[in-house]
Amino acid sequence: MAAPCELFCWKAGLGLPSVNTDCLIVLAYARFAGAPLKIHKISNPWRSPTGSLPALRTKDEGSCSQPSQIIIQLRKQKFNADYDLSAKEGADTLAFISLLEERLLPALIYALWIDPKNYVEVTRRWYGENMSFPLNFFLPGRMQNRQLERLRLIRGNGTLEAGEEAEKELYHDALECLNLLSQRLGSNKFFFGDSPSSLDAYVFGHLAPLFKIRLPNCRLQQNLKNLDNLNTFCSNILSLYFPNESIEGVSRPVSSTQPGSDLDNEPYKRRKQLLSVLVAVAAMLSYALFTGIVAIEHVQEEEPVGSHIGPSHEEEEEV
Amino acid sequence: MSLAAEAFVSQIAAAEPWPENAALYQPLKEDQILLSDSASSLAVQTFLRMCGLPVQVSCRANAEYMSPSGKVPFIQVGNQVVSELGPIVQFTKAKGHSLSDGLDDVQRAEMKAYMELVNNMLLTAELYIQWCDDFTATEISRPRYSSPYSWPLNHILAYQKQWEVRRKMNAIGWSGKSLEQVYEDVSQCCQALSQRLGTQPYFFNKQPTELDALVFGHLFTILTTQLTSDELVEKVKSYSNLLSFCHRIEQAYFKEQEREGQSGSSRHSKGSLP
Repeated sequence: MAAPCELFCWKAGLGLPSVNTDCLIVLAYARFAGAPLKIHKISNPWRSPTGSLPALRTKDEGSCSQPSQIIIQLRKQKFNADYDLSAKEGADTLAFISLLEERLLPALIYALWIDPKNYVEVTRRWYGENMSFPLNFFLPGRMQNRQLERLRLIRGNGTLEAGEEAEKELYHDALECLNLLSQRLGSNKFFFGDSPSSLDAYVFGHLAPLFKIRLPNCRLQQNLKNLDNLNTFCSNILSLYFPNESIEGVSRPVSSTQPGSDLDNEPYKRRKQLLSVLVAVAAMLSYALFTGIVAIEHVQEEEPVGSHIGPSHEEEEEV
Repeated sequence: MSLAAEAFVSQIAAAEPWPENAALYQPLKEDQILLSDSASSLAVQTFLRMCGLPVQVSCRANAEYMSPSGKVPFIQVGNQVVSELGPIVQFTKAKGHSLSDGLDDVQRAEMKAYMELVNNMLLTAELYIQWCDDFTATEISRPRYSSPYSWPLNHILAYQKQWEVRRKMNAIGWSGKSLEQVYEDVSQCCQALSQRLGTQPYFFNKQPTELDALVFGHLFTILTTQLTSDELVEKVKSYSNLLSFCHRIEQAYFKEQEREGQSGSSRHSKGSLP
């Protein structure tokens, strides 16, 4: 038997099998289709074969990175969660995936990456604590900038910023999407009856972060809580297909008290303080040396012949 | 604007009847308008005709810059300006004109989902072909887009637009796609629409909805627009029920003398449906 494909995705956390929407989609689809993947749960995207997560590495086809491409690869290897769907159901799948990407995804990006309170208290904290030094210093910020840029381009608004206006517009679209999904799901266990399909994987990937991560500032979560069938849908998938992962990293409740400042929530606060002190000391010493406040003199001493082959140089610091 | 103010504005809008002098603005039909804008404009015109609402089509070289969202087409009704199909549908609904009132909740959910499918796949594919395929961009898109402007502004604006679209394609993960993959996506989208339509006259049986207007706008424009390659047209032509659907809407809502005007210039367009 051929070696199984390798799937690289973000590690579990915040009560989820993976903290990233795309990774959740691929993980869910793989479980639904029964694909025997060797899963690498990592917290450094540079360790993946494509430099981004999720990524699938196969022996024959190389590596691919987008959920749609990964699902196509799995289907090529006869792991298909949609095999018993009718042609019309296949068409509905495409349509509802588009609905998710156009309406719900922008609001999800906003809630996790753009909203300042959520970003500082949850997103940046998690990535900061789970990435290795020194990536944790710059990668979360870089990821946030990318997500903001992506959101601006998706929405066709080059000046989009965190604020009430943007939030209202994005959450309005997302709430409509949640209601439409709820109506389409109805009282079914999954979107097309009793067995999950790729649409269920996509919906789960987009809803699970809202369902599980405790965000200090997200009206959308409250709206989702009011839609019982979508809540049941998420908890069913977590308990049936991810029984261990969902218990592993139950999200830490976020304090309702207003933090003193952004710095209170910095990951590795002590280490950063120590590093900044060291950098400051190094800078002061460099300045002192260059301006001549501290001088280093080379003094040559004469010694009896034969004691040394050559002259010795001793450094002395004069303060 | 606060929610109270918004509600007040929509109440005023609802109270006023649809005027006779409502105008729809789009880029110049003969020399400037591109496939994606032409499709969006035709979709809005079709929707308004289905609602029985009169509108005067006004072509302006600077339509894109007149629009509040920077997107075309947009309509001016009294002192209100609304751009793009989605907001226009909401606006007409506030005035008591809706095509989807007869649908149940599940059908409405499906209709919205299929509209997003068209925007997500067909519209994006049109933009990709126009601006990311170098041959089409050089031969058609840049010259047409910049035709109203003189040198050097024509080059600056055309390249700026191309850069914007390419950045968007990168953001949504389309920059790595080949032209063949894009055509495959169009085919997949058409297959989904064909399956949903089946043998019905409209997507939700007897009555047209905004989905029918949107799909007609895009498919009719693709079928009647001359590009550097016929591959896009061939993808659509392979679905006979979609062709019949386009014929049906063209016959029902567009009179003989208006057909030529809808599909653009002789240089850019192939006239009415084959």
